[in-house]
Amino acid sequence: MTSKIIVNNIESDSGVSSVTFTSDIELGTKNLKGHNLESTGIVTAVSFTGSGANLTNLPAANITGTLPALDGSALTGVGASFGNSSVNTSGIITATSFVPTVGQLSHRNLIVNGAMNVAQRGTSSTSSGFYTVDRFQVNFTGTNEAPEQRQATLTSAPGPYREGHRKAYKITNGNQTGGGGAAKFIRFKTTIEAQDIANSGWDYVSSSSFVTLSFWVKASVAQTYYGRLQTEDGTARNYPFSFALSADTWTKVTKTIPGNTSPTLQFDNNNGAGLILEIVPYYGTDYTGSMSLNTWATYSDRTPDNTATWYETDDATFFITGVQLEVGPVATPFEHRSFGEELTRCQRYFVKMSGGAFIFPQNNVYTSFSFPQEMRDAPTLTFLSGAGTKSGIRVEKDGFRAANSLGPQDHAFTAESEI
Amino acid sequence: MTLNYKFIKDFTGENTCILRLTDNKYIPFCDGNIDYQEYLEWAKTNTTEEAD
Repeated sequence: MTSKIIVNNIESDSGVSSVTFTSDIELGTKNLKGHNLESTGIVTAVSFTGSGANLTNLPAANITGTLPALDGSALTGVGASFGNSSVNTSGIITATSFVPTVGQLSHRNLIVNGAMNVAQRGTSSTSSGFYTVDRFQVNFTGTNEAPEQRQATLTSAPGPYREGHRKAYKITNGNQTGGGGAAKFIRFKTTIEAQDIANSGWDYVSSSSFVTLSFWVKASVAQTYYGRLQTEDGTARNYPFSFALSADTWTKVTKTIPGNTSPTLQFDNNNGAGLILEIVPYYGTDYTGSMSLNTWATYSDRTPDNTATWYETDDATFFITGVQLEVGPVATPFEHRSFGEELTRCQRYFVKMSGGAFIFPQNNVYTSFSFPQEMRDAPTLTFLSGAGTKSGIRVEKDGFRAANSLGPQDHAFTAESEI
Repeated sequence: MTLNYKFIKDFTGENTCILRLTDNKYIPFCDGNIDYQEYLEWAKTNTTEEAD
């Protein structure tokens, strides 16, 4: 049975604060209108419209789904709440200060001459050792025909050129008619002073602290190649890694390398050899063995067994440039430095003076000459011009003295304090 | 290549460096110098020529 009461006003009885309904009020297709709607329960609806200006205490966990475009101009208290996420923008980010959690904003690259721009010794050689690009050497042994090392010039092309690199370190293989052999190898090598690692900010005895190695590489032969890091202080440790290349295709290799407690890494705070980096076109089996990649282990063999395809390809080529080693778990863009700054860094290890070292024939007086800057350690001197055996040569980090029995002469010389 | 070394002295008679005769490199008495390290290995079984 249905019934209907038609009224135009419902008021509570005298002394009663509210009207109580003991059953649901069905609105049908009509609206509930008025001032405030208060509920101690749950309000549900298919949709809500109107201003949400006074919404408060929304639990963060209940805000889900895709956010609409937001104006973040008034964001406050962001703090470190981005956690491990990356923030990407095609616009500009400004701040009062930028504070990296690890590493630093400048002077990040621990490699000297990683762009291969400085070549004081020359631009090509078929000898093994330091002969072209500063701070880097190509070493080889057992070859039938000596490979050539060269400071190569890059031309406009995809890869490192587009990132501002104009030079690369290049090996052109000889004709290795005897094929690959156990004692043979060809490799790139550079060595970082121990104190530069010790003072870098890398907590190298922690597996949650990292350095990141990145470099551009191209080879004419497609295969898997190896590289490695090696510590020099204490018991030597080895960190081998691999990278696969397609023929004649520039590839950027990135390796994130943790510190390590067992086995412990050691870098003394001195100017001796600290960390060796090798990029390896070929190692014979005298230098290779079974090992795990991408982990530190006590140094014994250097890499897993190498494919000999590149080594056995006459005139095969191998290029590297843009070598960067930096503290932190990510590879940042290459830190380009001016030629002058990079030359100054290189001159800590090698100086070539084309003249100006006048050495006089005084019996008891010696001519002194200062190097452009203090070198890593007292260097070996090689005179390129000026005749006669010099006497009384005493070499220090910052210069040398000498006399010459043949009369005053202008001497060109090199001073080398490589590691 | 056979290595040969000769001491270089100053006017007081003190040896001030070593001359590697094979390539005329003047090598300081410096433990951190890799050429001197090589010389020390050589000197274990060889004799250095005295200075003039």
